[in-house]
Amino acid sequence: MPDIAFVKPALPRSGALVLPLAEEAPLAGLAKQADEATGGAISRGLEAAKFKGRKGQATTLWAPGAGLSKVVAIGLGKAAELMATGAEAAGGATAGAIAQEREAMVAADGLAPALAASLAMGVALKSYRFDRYRTMEKEEDKPKIERVAVAVADTAKAKAAFAPLQAVADGVFLTRDLVSEPPNVLTPTDCADRCRALAKLGVEVEILGPKEMKKLGFGALLGVAQGSAQEPRMVVMKWMGAPKGKKGKPLAFIGKGVTFDTGGISIKPAGGMEDMKWDMAGAGTVIGLMAALAGRKAKADVVGIVGLVENMPSGTAQRPGDVVTSASGQTIEVINTDAEGRLVLADVIHYCIEKFDPRFMVDLATLTGAIIIALGHEHAGLFSNDDTLASRIEAAGRATGETAWRMPLGDAYDKQMKSDIADMKNVGGRPGGSITAAQFIQRFVQGRPWAHLDIAGTAWSSKDTATTPKGATAYGVRMLDRLVAEHYEG
Amino acid sequence: MIAVRFRRGAPRPDLPCIVPLDAIAAAPRALAPALAAARFTGAARQVVDLPGTPRRLVVGLGTAPDALACEGAGAAAALAAGASEEVALAGAGLAAGQLAAVAAGIALGAWAFDRHRARDLPRRIRRLVVHCDSPDEAEAAFAHRAPGIGGCLLARDLVAEPANHLTTRRFAERLEALAEDGIEVTIHGRKWLERHGFGALLAVGGGAADPPRLAVLRWRGALPLPPVAFVGKGLVFDTGGISIKPATGMEAMRADMAGAAACAGAMLALARRRSPAPAVAVLAIAENATGAAAYRPGDVIRTASRRTVEVIDTDAEGRLVLADALHHAIAAFRPRAVIDLATLTGAIVTALGHHRAGIFGSDAALLASAAAAGEAVGEPLWPMPIGPTHREALDSDIADLRQCAPAGSGAWGGRFLPDACHAAAFLREFAGTTPWAHLDIAGVDSAEEAHALGPAGPTGFGARLLDRLVALRFEAEP
Repeated sequence: MPDIAFVKPALPRSGALVLPLAEEAPLAGLAKQADEATGGAISRGLEAAKFKGRKGQATTLWAPGAGLSKVVAIGLGKAAELMATGAEAAGGATAGAIAQEREAMVAADGLAPALAASLAMGVALKSYRFDRYRTMEKEEDKPKIERVAVAVADTAKAKAAFAPLQAVADGVFLTRDLVSEPPNVLTPTDCADRCRALAKLGVEVEILGPKEMKKLGFGALLGVAQGSAQEPRMVVMKWMGAPKGKKGKPLAFIGKGVTFDTGGISIKPAGGMEDMKWDMAGAGTVIGLMAALAGRKAKADVVGIVGLVENMPSGTAQRPGDVVTSASGQTIEVINTDAEGRLVLADVIHYCIEKFDPRFMVDLATLTGAIIIALGHEHAGLFSNDDTLASRIEAAGRATGETAWRMPLGDAYDKQMKSDIADMKNVGGRPGGSITAAQFIQRFVQGRPWAHLDIAGTAWSSKDTATTPKGATAYGVRMLDRLVAEHYEG
Repeated sequence: MIAVRFRRGAPRPDLPCIVPLDAIAAAPRALAPALAAARFTGAARQVVDLPGTPRRLVVGLGTAPDALACEGAGAAAALAAGASEEVALAGAGLAAGQLAAVAAGIALGAWAFDRHRARDLPRRIRRLVVHCDSPDEAEAAFAHRAPGIGGCLLARDLVAEPANHLTTRRFAERLEALAEDGIEVTIHGRKWLERHGFGALLAVGGGAADPPRLAVLRWRGALPLPPVAFVGKGLVFDTGGISIKPATGMEAMRADMAGAAACAGAMLALARRRSPAPAVAVLAIAENATGAAAYRPGDVIRTASRRTVEVIDTDAEGRLVLADALHHAIAAFRPRAVIDLATLTGAIVTALGHHRAGIFGSDAALLASAAAAGEAVGEPLWPMPIGPTHREALDSDIADLRQCAPAGSGAWGGRFLPDACHAAAFLREFAGTTPWAHLDIAGVDSAEEAHALGPAGPTGFGARLLDRLVALRFEAEP
């Protein structure tokens, strides 16, 4: 990860220079100086490359003179239409273009400080790598970038705008790390231990083990965990940032943390099963979100709770047909042991309500394959019993590029969960599979304001996107940070 | 449809009598003790069967007896009535509009398809006598509803018909019969399709002994405006073709023409109620069979729009025939808007189940009107997305487009593909700039059990929705 600093515009004597340029705009400021210093090589080069500054357009000019190793022009589209997400995307493109340089300067002197900060955020987000387990990577394949100087007219304002973004980026990276870690490393215990590090940021961290959960009557969560040699954990993270006099009910975020999901006795097909290491992405997102909120000292009281288990087939594993009693007292007939995430959430949600009486709850879970069949990988599925909360989440998603698509709930779907022997089954059949999963969870929220994000299609990306290298996306951290910032602080 | 008459006075005591009530307090004094004992609350669609002379079927209207609740009550009562050829409806206390809606619900609930039963023919409701204080008013209100019911039941009849009876030719003949109601019907056969380059429809229908057809139904209306266009998928049977389907459940594929049937039903409704709005339906009729002349995965076909398509899976045939039909609807009629209906994907069933159809499209106002129309007639929709990645999945190595993403592509071992979104992205390419909506009705065309407005079997989903959509959006002068 390179250091990112905001500096006054001054032409660098060496290294790479990145020029974010608006569509059909003449070279100005630092870009113009560079053009003059290179004897017009830049303007001639861009002309020859038919560079117009269109969104997504990029052109590299090698050694144009004045000591510069290269100049990279990145299109911003129309200046009047440039938003934070566009500036971030330009930052992402910048990160790709300068990875093999040691030092680079970005001529953001034409951008407003907030947009320059967003561009810097894009550089940071796209520069992420998870290379802990690479021991033989060739030197020339490793990124070299150490320092990125973002040239802006008003460094103080840009720095101030970037500080909270940096905290959010750190939260994103924590989530990406957790989700990327292999399942033999990131066990429930290991994941819980890593949460302790949040104490440094001022987060109160409490960890509950099987004994405590048994006492709380967590029959649903413990049923999932019982097949694994790994002990389950529940981690409760509290960030009490609301100023005195503005204390109220806390906001609650709840994450599904199945550190590996074999499916249990209802075992999954082998093809693609390795992906199931990221079946804890809901929990990973909540942990990263708590780090982001605490890191930027959000003025809100927020609770993050994650249920961490491993779902394994074994002699002690739960079976299809088992009936378990959840912490709420409601009984569940387990039809399919691979529908385990909702069992974990049922107990954690109940605990959250009893313990914290939250203002609202948002749960995140890589819950169903059906949501991928429904929406693909562009949107998470959003289910909610509260239109205000849902539309705020949708808006926060659009603003951060982590979009959610509202999906329906209703009694007709709820009926699919009826069981012959218990209060409910844990699956409602293939038709409307994500909806019935949400209906199941809704049975535990006691009518409180609640939203459920099914992130099975968005937690992991099989290809690079504008600001995310392929792999763990940390989908949700930025969206929910934004949700808190927009509506629940101050 | 059952015959419905309106009368003053009391019902004949020998006929079962349907008594709609919104609460037990509204019950005639003689019935109150029995209803209380049976725990009748007036809840929507709750039916209590009181034997006697007359036998009474008391049905709840719920707390908000709007038209849809009244229809639901009528349907529930009809389903509970059992083997009676004639029933009465006691209308005291109900407004004419509510009464008409209950009667409409009885007509929907009483629908049955017995054409292929040779013995033990069940007794069905054939006649309804509605008793009320102002029969003329109620009859006028019913006349307003009857066309939509007729359209819906036509769609159910067509969908119920097995594929050896409803061949492509026979389907076209059934549509030609709509001329009686003032609809202009043109059927284009194989030669015409070949001459005009309908490569997609011809490819899909190529494996079958019965040739494909393109049916065009026109209702001229009265407004001096371009028509609204309906486009329907009319696969009289879908084996899947060379990418053949598993045997289990394949018999349901006789309903793969439900989109076309719904469009035909909507046209009938518009004609019968003399809608001022001009409308046209373009129905792509074919049988997707395995055969020596069947099209294959890997084939590249040229659609009527001249765009080329790489075939990946011959069982994703609906979007191909719709591509040609959409093109024709737009090129030949320059419509104000085009709405296509199709039993298109299994993915929409996984996404929305059997309680809502998916709606995709490019025109927010049109989508909102369609959704409102669906809510009003008990055919609910849910908006679904078409995003850039859905379109990217259709990039082909060899042609302008590929028809779908190959199985095995994508994450999670490739088992989970958003095929409904892919299909919608594919169709969008052929809708161009015309305001367009696509309804994927694969989950709602047939019901396994009796539903709110009818018995198990074909629902006719879409016919009433389109009729209502036209009433909501396309009948005003510009």
